[in-house]
Amino acid sequence: MKSEVRSQKSEVKKLVTRYSLLITLMLVTCHLSLVTDAFAMHISEGILPLSWAALWFAVAIPFVWYGMKRLRELSKIDLSYKPLVGLMAAIVFVISLMPIPVPTAGTCSHPGGTAIPAILLGPAVTVLITGVALLIQALFFAHGGLTTWGADVVSMGIMGAFAGVGIFRLMRKFNVGLAVSAFFAGMISDWAIYATTSVELAAGIRGDEPFWPLFTKILIAFVPTQLPLGIVEGAMTAGMVKLLFKRRADLLVKFGVIKAEEAI
Amino acid sequence: MAQCECFSEHFSKRHFLSGIDARVKLLVTLALLLMVLSYQGILFPILVSCGAFMLCAKMRIPVKMLFMRMAQPLFLAVVVLVLKCFFTGEDMLFVFSLPTSHFPLLTLAGHSDGLLEGLRITSRIMGGVSLVIALGFATPFIEFVAALSWLRVPRPFIEIMMFAYRYLFVFLEDASTIYSAQKNRLGYAGLRRGLNSFGVLTGSLVLRGFEQSQKTADAMIQRGYTGDMPLLKSRPLKAAELAVAFIVVVIGGAVWMI
Repeated sequence: MKSEVRSQKSEVKKLVTRYSLLITLMLVTCHLSLVTDAFAMHISEGILPLSWAALWFAVAIPFVWYGMKRLRELSKIDLSYKPLVGLMAAIVFVISLMPIPVPTAGTCSHPGGTAIPAILLGPAVTVLITGVALLIQALFFAHGGLTTWGADVVSMGIMGAFAGVGIFRLMRKFNVGLAVSAFFAGMISDWAIYATTSVELAAGIRGDEPFWPLFTKILIAFVPTQLPLGIVEGAMTAGMVKLLFKRRADLLVKFGVIKAEEAI
Repeated sequence: MAQCECFSEHFSKRHFLSGIDARVKLLVTLALLLMVLSYQGILFPILVSCGAFMLCAKMRIPVKMLFMRMAQPLFLAVVVLVLKCFFTGEDMLFVFSLPTSHFPLLTLAGHSDGLLEGLRITSRIMGGVSLVIALGFATPFIEFVAALSWLRVPRPFIEIMMFAYRYLFVFLEDASTIYSAQKNRLGYAGLRRGLNSFGVLTGSLVLRGFEQSQKTADAMIQRGYTGDMPLLKSRPLKAAELAVAFIVVVIGGAVWMI
């Protein structure tokens, strides 16, 4: 009798393991359709154990420090640079609050918005901008958290900004058009944030379980929102760059996004 | 853009916590957060969560607002709970047998140890988030910035935070106006037009940001700005406030130990 129950249990386990990815997808899609808004990018307060929260802080701090160093250097040359960075932080904050309908999940989600300042002001200052926006959001909107600030800065600020600007500069090097490069920068930046958040979540909540299976499940769980959202973010970044090129190409030249001869 | 209406500043009026120094509130919150994160069970974070919600009720924060704040953390908590319960653990607790159970896709098993671990993380999320929500409602932004400055957070970070906060509401208003104008002109009818409209909206905000930053810098330079902004100076900490904070942390520590 006991061996029968044991064999039944192991059979069920096998099935569950085999189809776990599909089941995760189903469950999360059902859940997403029940809530009005999904904020998949921020890791909430309390989700990470103390050790992981401390580790992500340790990773984030040198980047934020470097961002501040760059800010000090650049604001010595141009006094209007600090207000500009502050205003960009406000814009990133506003962009990350924009509700974007995601039809595949039947819900609204929010873009990261880090590719835009990364293209215009560079990735180092963007890490600082993201850090500021995240702290305000954590305190006054409960998006993200104080102890998860480090993890959120690593995913949104560091990975989002560096992946976005890396793709943008690489494509521009190969003479790809401005709007297309910006589109891919926005899209890859969004997906990099999403992949890093999945790594952080899986590492933080796995306990004694192996890392990779849980990471894959989390990655798949957010596919319905994050894949289309990446495309939307790409389109948004491309639209922003196109508009700037049309109306204030001098600004793109000033920040080294395009060469002076391209603006003519 | 309905979120701007639920910004904590709209609610942090006069209440019994508004007189307490922001530094004390911040230190107590950080101490309790550390306890919540390092606790290995469920009870302590739940107690902290109840306490924080009671504080919010005492500050007369609308229940709807609290639910809105909790929406995102709860979303993640549910995802974590589902993942931990169904896909981790060894001891099988229950098996879902739907009418078409012969179809293996619909067979699902929950594990008691996975569920327990999921509940532990969920309680940690509830405890941590409720603490930060209470802090956000209890502390005006400017006082919070002064507390950060007292905690030796670097000045450039604080200055950028102040600039960002000053213009947040301006850009929220701008974004809302542009969005309504686009929507009224069928800017979001169809995927292609919608994507284009989002791009224009973002671009317009960035353009306004550039123009506004130039105007702000000019105005500040005319008033003697040399690259550093003045910050609110902290008054000396009151012994009574420190004593109350100490008692709260000691009680929290005692419950944590139990």
